[in-house]
Amino acid sequence: MEAPVAAHFASRAQQALAATFGMWVFLATEALLFGPLFFGYLYVRTHFPEAAGAASRHTDLVLGTLNTATLISASLCMALAAQPQRRARSAAWLLWASAALGLAFLAIKGLEYRHEFAAQLFPDRGFAPADAGAPAHAHGMQLFFVLYFAMTALHALHLAVGVAACLVVARALRRGRARAEQVELAGLYWHFVDVLWIFLYPLLYLVERA
Amino acid sequence: MNRQDKSLVLVWVALLLLLAASAGSALLRLGAWNSVLNLAVAAVKAALVLLFFMRLRASHKLLRLAALSAFATLAVLFGLASSDYATRTVYPAPLQTPRQLAPHALPLQ
Repeated sequence: MEAPVAAHFASRAQQALAATFGMWVFLATEALLFGPLFFGYLYVRTHFPEAAGAASRHTDLVLGTLNTATLISASLCMALAAQPQRRARSAAWLLWASAALGLAFLAIKGLEYRHEFAAQLFPDRGFAPADAGAPAHAHGMQLFFVLYFAMTALHALHLAVGVAACLVVARALRRGRARAEQVELAGLYWHFVDVLWIFLYPLLYLVERA
Repeated sequence: MNRQDKSLVLVWVALLLLLAASAGSALLRLGAWNSVLNLAVAAVKAALVLLFFMRLRASHKLLRLAALSAFATLAVLFGLASSDYATRTVYPAPLQTPRQLAPHALPLQ
């Protein structure tokens, strides 16, 4: 379906560029929202190097790796859906596929959270990992898990928004009401959430594994 | 499947191989190089997503500028904030309780 061109744009291409530019500016502010958490991580890694390693070994490497693969595959579906020559019907299927993969990611993440709560790794008063060690060491581990839960939960929130965006656009595509720009914008947001996870994965799961 | 679709699938394969490489290398004893390698792999993966999935490779300069501005701003803020943490001693504030200063030195109530 052709998009209506608003009065202040000279052409449809210009309108699409403005929308994409707006999404990129929004994503830049999102990067700054996550920035302080990454800086907090830098602080914990530099001030409590051993504790960060000990805490990271408590995370589930297999599920974390599986989740990374899930998210990368969902991104592929989004990228394929946003190809300019894609038909609305197949684009809708691809969007549903990435929404399903996003939900699978959230389910696996929830499973990990359950294991971590059971192992007393949630950084509240009950924080008591098996290898807590000296108070300063336990404190460093707790700080790592504060960041682990804050970063993964904020990421999961963003992913949930991405799944919702996928479903809304897929529904509109099926009814012939969506425009190519909408698939493009949902895709950009999705890939941003993917890029975040690409950095979270080594930082949270792969510290001093050997 | 046309050429553009094929290149996207190839990028996906490359991303999965890089994921396997970073998970595998994390299990080797490389000391500090583990982190360097993992972050380098993450940077390459992020670049692949940005250039191909997010199409920065062939997009308008304005979009590349917006993407770059995020990284540039983060770099400035990281630089300023880490200079603060690297050069100052942390003194406890008078209102902090013993538990706040040494969270695990005292038994839980």
